[in-house]
Amino acid sequence: MRRTFPHEEAFSKAILAVVMVLQPASVRSNMTVVIGFEGSANKIGVGIIRDGEVLSNPRRTYITPPGQGFLPGETAKHHRSVILTVLQEALDEAGLKAEDIDCVAYTKGPGMGAPLVTVAIVARTVAQLWGKPLLGVNHCIGHIEMGRLITNAQNPTVLYVSGGNTQVIAYSERRYRIFGETIDIAVGNCLDRFARVIKISNDPSPGYNIEQMAKKGTKYIELPYTVKGMDVSFSGILSYIEDAAHKMLSTSQCTPEDLCFSLQETVFAMLVEITERAMAHCGSQEVLIVGGVGCNLRLQEMMGVMCKERGARLFATDESFCIDNGAMIAQAGWEMFCSGHVTELSDSWITQRYRTDEVEVTWRD
Amino acid sequence: MLFFENKGTFNQHMTKMPLSNRSSTKYVNMAACVSENDSDKKLEFFLKVPFPSEREAAIALQSLSPDPEPRKGGITKNLDVTGHTLSVRWTADEARILRVSVSSFLDHLSLVMETLDAFGPPVSQ
Repeated sequence: MRRTFPHEEAFSKAILAVVMVLQPASVRSNMTVVIGFEGSANKIGVGIIRDGEVLSNPRRTYITPPGQGFLPGETAKHHRSVILTVLQEALDEAGLKAEDIDCVAYTKGPGMGAPLVTVAIVARTVAQLWGKPLLGVNHCIGHIEMGRLITNAQNPTVLYVSGGNTQVIAYSERRYRIFGETIDIAVGNCLDRFARVIKISNDPSPGYNIEQMAKKGTKYIELPYTVKGMDVSFSGILSYIEDAAHKMLSTSQCTPEDLCFSLQETVFAMLVEITERAMAHCGSQEVLIVGGVGCNLRLQEMMGVMCKERGARLFATDESFCIDNGAMIAQAGWEMFCSGHVTELSDSWITQRYRTDEVEVTWRD
Repeated sequence: MLFFENKGTFNQHMTKMPLSNRSSTKYVNMAACVSENDSDKKLEFFLKVPFPSEREAAIALQSLSPDPEPRKGGITKNLDVTGHTLSVRWTADEARILRVSVSSFLDHLSLVMETLDAFGPPVSQ
């Protein structure tokens, strides 16, 4: 092949750009637009992606009073009351109409039953109204694909940490394989439930408020450290710290800030350990943190220290993509749709349990 | 409303209920029967929902039928469409189980109707 000179390449690109601009819009858009619906926990989001570009990503959060968690029925009721508004917002912000959408993606699972059904019902209805194919997406894979898109990490060890999930995942031969996970509750669940015990606000999220309080903690309270090989356990730590909170706060042995600080240090160290173990197994030089708990800057800092020691790179996203959102479902849906997946309406049932490795990842080698 | 009769006679009460404030479907016919079958002693509940078109009734059916009942036992639910009417039939062992399922279904049905109103009419096939 004859070697091209730089100005020759630039010239060809310029000609191509002019030709593209002169094409009518309909010919230019051989692009794929996917709309994604997410509502497996207390966030309801609708996002639109066009060939890797986030066109819109509005979201609402169901926030309960301090000391209370969110229950499935009430969460579903919240989602029902706002979902159509959020859907319209997504279309308006993207400047698109129904006919511009190529595929309707929604969260098939895992998550809370009632909210999942609410969102699936709307997704099915608009897919039929607009005559577009439907695609059921795994929520965890949504997080992973969004993380990959935003950070451009090539083949990272993924730490997926949220209120509902705690998994260490690596891609291998057409599956997102779970290398380590919690054997009981998610790390975010541990943090959220502790926040209820000390009755701090759930606005914008209990984890965020624990993080702010932890910055003011000065005393380290020793808590159980429960790494089990490749896995972790948090329910023991939760019972211990709930008990410690009652005892120590009433006798002023420590402040709530000290407890927040100690809890974070303990659970985050555990997560860094199991991530490092998975990296050692895979020979990986990249770490990607996804999920709501991934917003936590202290976790990112601690992971960063470990990565630096190993000469690895750390990737994380900001809270618009870490926290559950519609665009992540749209992005995973985009990958799946472009590689030929579609969900038949009769198969579009939601499921509360849906393992990350159940999905065949046909869009990667 | 459900009427309970000791002697196993058939009671039927028709109720008209406003379901949506928007134009399309204003009222829903509900027929609630309690019948004591010799063998089953199950409660039955029938619901008929008229839609403006056959297409919209079919869309509602496809949106509402895929998910299984959260509760494994003690309740069955069957959906069907004839013309532009969606009909639903429940059988349940206990009234409280029936109440939860019907109540959930009506919330979901409401949501489908609001979605049809806001984002319809369906595109031509």
